[in-house]
Amino acid sequence: MESIVFGIGITALTGALATVAGAAEDTESNIGSQGDPNSQVQLAPQMGYLHRIFNKAIAGEPPAYGLWCALGAGLAWAFMAMQLNAVLAIVLGCVLAVFVQGVYSTTAYLGRTASLKKFGQPVFVDILKSMTTVTMAHAFIAIFCTVTLCYLMNAALGHPFPLPLLGLLWGIALGAAGSAVGNPYYGKERQYQNQKFGAGVPIAQSGNIVRYAEAGERNSLDNGFFTAKLGGPASGVCFGLIVFLELWRTILFEKIGAGWGAIIVGILIILIFTIIDRSIEVWARKTYGPYAVPTKEASS
Amino acid sequence: MTAVAAKPAAGGAMNPTAMVVGLVLLVIILGICWKVSPGLGLMALIGMVVGGVLIGFGTHFVPVGGAPAAMGQAPGIATGVAMLAAGAGLAGLFGGAWAAEQGLVVAVVTGAIGGGLMMAITCMMVNFIYVFGMGIPAASGKVKVDPITGDTQPEFKSQGTEGHGLPFVSFVGGVIGGILAGGGGTLIYLMLLDLYKATLPTLMKATEAQIMPVAISAAGIFAVGMFLVNAVLTAYNITGTIEGPHDPKFKRWPRAVVASAVASALCGLAAILIVVV
Repeated sequence: MESIVFGIGITALTGALATVAGAAEDTESNIGSQGDPNSQVQLAPQMGYLHRIFNKAIAGEPPAYGLWCALGAGLAWAFMAMQLNAVLAIVLGCVLAVFVQGVYSTTAYLGRTASLKKFGQPVFVDILKSMTTVTMAHAFIAIFCTVTLCYLMNAALGHPFPLPLLGLLWGIALGAAGSAVGNPYYGKERQYQNQKFGAGVPIAQSGNIVRYAEAGERNSLDNGFFTAKLGGPASGVCFGLIVFLELWRTILFEKIGAGWGAIIVGILIILIFTIIDRSIEVWARKTYGPYAVPTKEASS
Repeated sequence: MTAVAAKPAAGGAMNPTAMVVGLVLLVIILGICWKVSPGLGLMALIGMVVGGVLIGFGTHFVPVGGAPAAMGQAPGIATGVAMLAAGAGLAGLFGGAWAAEQGLVVAVVTGAIGGGLMMAITCMMVNFIYVFGMGIPAASGKVKVDPITGDTQPEFKSQGTEGHGLPFVSFVGGVIGGILAGGGGTLIYLMLLDLYKATLPTLMKATEAQIMPVAISAAGIFAVGMFLVNAVLTAYNITGTIEGPHDPKFKRWPRAVVASAVASALCGLAAILIVVV
């Protein structure tokens, strides 16, 4: 009984860490335009729209976070093998991983922006200095939370995978969840704030991203400020739910039916999310209505 | 138009010669494995090929919209094919590896459900952000009627786009993709773990308990690597974006299945040779 209560406590803690990690990851990637909307940041100067948006997308979020979290976890693991205190080891490992992220961000921004020279896009040194440090700070939170939850899975819950491998797995899952949920909000809702609300961006408008703020030119800190209100927390909830429910069903129901208990609970959770998803879809169709009058051919 | 009536898009044609060459390569690799390790090694390789094929086939179900989806210009999840499949499959592998002691069937099903769970939560949150964050309903650009719910689609596409969000059929496709990918990844891991548990004690002159950390780590790393190989191969087959099982591009799966089988066999052979030669 005590072990189950302990397991549930650790599960709740990992779920909370994952939620913070997801929110920080999405905000970091939005400030750095690392998700799919980077294509618009890169396209804008080619369409004649010069801007001051940071763009460090030379890898997708999942492989990038897979690298940084595996690096943080691997270094923490090495420090722990040197008899360093676990908390200190994780912090030091994550700090070193964040330096790699900083080098990556700097070279990525310079490389991507320098390639736009023939379209007249300047490399802004002040953007490089102010944005890189902010992405590093957010990346530290995301990496630290992910490595810590991996450590808890390994040390407290007894998962057989070593810490660096867990860092790689959950780093990739973190990037996948953060980019899936956060990208549309940054791409459609922020970069194309000048387009109609409640509709996709017409393909003809590609590249025409918003470049001016309330005062002066918009930069990526404004974008991070905006997406941290919904896209970031939603990504955090997504990753938090994934981690929490995966652990919760295993800790509580694995012993029932020689493992089949956790499987049945997993199927039930999938069905519940299916019902929620369908309800959201139907609610949107009824509440927002169609964009055009249904054609006879379409309804047949 | 239904998914059945839809014609494959350009580039989707099968090349019979390439398929035959692929199958011959597969037989040759299996033959090499039979020669060097006819019992446990061959069984492990067959399991890894099945696991790789499940990953390759399952990735076709995952609705991925890439950059256009991030602007609400196309349906699907706004990220890359390989990355999303890897995220789901590796989350499944995490659960499957945890259940490894409870037998092959329970562990593979646990891994499959873990992958499906990750995709169900992600797909639901994608629709959540589209509907409540951006005020955009889901609409498919490839079919006029959702094959599962019967909902009409064209009138819910906003002007100048190919659709947006995740229609119900795409959600179901995502969950199926996660289930197949999670199960496939776990199967590869378990096959390698059994092989390493049997061979490493002799090779390293140590007890099974002593070699377990090495066996688990090596099997896990090979499983992740083979997972990415199969997911990336499939991404090349899909070429960009796919809406799910109703997308005409889905019909390209036989090509990816053959390619995944050959690639998994080759990678699996390398993973076997490090302990049996």
